[in-house]
Amino acid sequence: MGSSIVREFFAACFDGDGSPKMSGEHQEQDLLLAEEAAAENTRLVLAIGNGDQGAEREFALRFLPRLRAMLLARTRNATVAADLVQDAMIEALCALRRGQLREPGKLTAFVLAIARNVLNSHFRTASRQPESLEFPDNLPDLSSIDERMQSEQRESLAARAIESLDPTDKAILQMTLVHGLKPGVIAERLRLNPDVVRQRKLRATRRVMEFVAKASQNALSNHSVAGKKR
Amino acid sequence: MNNCTGAPAEKFAMDYLEGTLPEDEAEGFENHYFDCPVCLAQVQMLQSVGEELGRRPAALPTPATRRVLAWPARIWALGALAALLVVSVAGYRIFESGRTRPGFATTAQEPLKLNLPPQTEPEKPQEAGATPPAHAQVTASQLADLALPAFVAPNLRGSSEDARFLEGMKAYSSGDCAGAVTALAAVPAAGAQARAARFYSGACQMHLGNLAAATANLRTVAEAGDSPEQEAALYYLAQTALLGNDVPHARIWLRQTVELHGDFERRAKAALARIGALGVPK
Repeated sequence: MGSSIVREFFAACFDGDGSPKMSGEHQEQDLLLAEEAAAENTRLVLAIGNGDQGAEREFALRFLPRLRAMLLARTRNATVAADLVQDAMIEALCALRRGQLREPGKLTAFVLAIARNVLNSHFRTASRQPESLEFPDNLPDLSSIDERMQSEQRESLAARAIESLDPTDKAILQMTLVHGLKPGVIAERLRLNPDVVRQRKLRATRRVMEFVAKASQNALSNHSVAGKKR
Repeated sequence: MNNCTGAPAEKFAMDYLEGTLPEDEAEGFENHYFDCPVCLAQVQMLQSVGEELGRRPAALPTPATRRVLAWPARIWALGALAALLVVSVAGYRIFESGRTRPGFATTAQEPLKLNLPPQTEPEKPQEAGATPPAHAQVTASQLADLALPAFVAPNLRGSSEDARFLEGMKAYSSGDCAGAVTALAAVPAAGAQARAARFYSGACQMHLGNLAAATANLRTVAEAGDSPEQEAALYYLAQTALLGNDVPHARIWLRQTVELHGDFERRAKAALARIGALGVPK
């Protein structure tokens, strides 16, 4: 799982020789990726409909990180997001087992729609009612070891990225991501110009992204070296 | 969204996580990153950075510490030290010369007193019943947490938010407090968003320095009973009181905030500890 994500990431960003892709090639690459994803989705949906447990696990491994990222961004609460991820995943699996997805190629849109419905229900009801969900039998293990390892790696990468930041940039990122403050308010608190805050925030974001790109390149080169040794 | 490795995508991801992206664009971005590992990795990494900063917060320059650490204060302190040194050396020399030439002693000692900056005088212990020193009042208002409470738009399809409320919150989210107050004032008092409108309006009034209006709005919300805004209203009531150097009321509202054991409990406890350190009588 981990290596396939790295492969996907690298393929989307760089050529075989490691040089960054040009924008025209990106469009082509996007189309190719979309076609491949549609074919993969169809296979997955049909397999789940046929009761394939492995396909269910593959589905969970693929969509758990995406759902977690989306629901955390929307709720800004890790505990609530974790609950909603489970709900969305269970609903999606139940629906797929019942064969409710008519167009298997649109699996991503289907999962997103379920996640948005779960989110809407959460915001609309004062108290959530998980017992109303119909739990499927033989639910795949949603606490994937792969995912936990990736999350730990990301945490350590994030810590290193934060360490590398200028103290003011660090403070700006913290006020933005943790306290949800707007540049105008941050500027007032740090006695800076709001444009300077925006500029510094963008610079800090880029610095963090550099860490993502570097880590992905390292992971891929380690993966290639391991492959050659075999 | 093809150029996923460039700055626009980074900015897009940050806006999405901040909740400042319009709903249609936010949904479009979600549709995209569910199939784009590059953007997914960016979103996840920024979320991890946020979580990490939440767990191990960086030392933020607060107004109190800034007064000590900022360069004008340091120059003032260095200046005072230098003056003290000059005065000490000069005093010693005059004392020494006074012993041999007594005639110079009185005339030379006079400017010594004048050269002493008043700030270097040691603090005298406060007598019982005496008014607190002026610097204690200034520090109380500087302890106020002026950060506007975050507003997370529910961004729900088919939600029935009042258009005037949404307009006000849009202004609020962009930091336009005056615009937010004007728009939120138009929200009907019997509407579903009336309490939230009063709360955010109160927070804006606090930010604008209209302390009486802020207190009236926040107090109405806090006293109306259980609501999603009640705890925050109590906390910001305390901040408004601090801004007005009304430490006793600030204490009361902070204690009420702590008693609710909600999201603001830790911040309220920290504020109480900072107030305690001021030494203002209860």
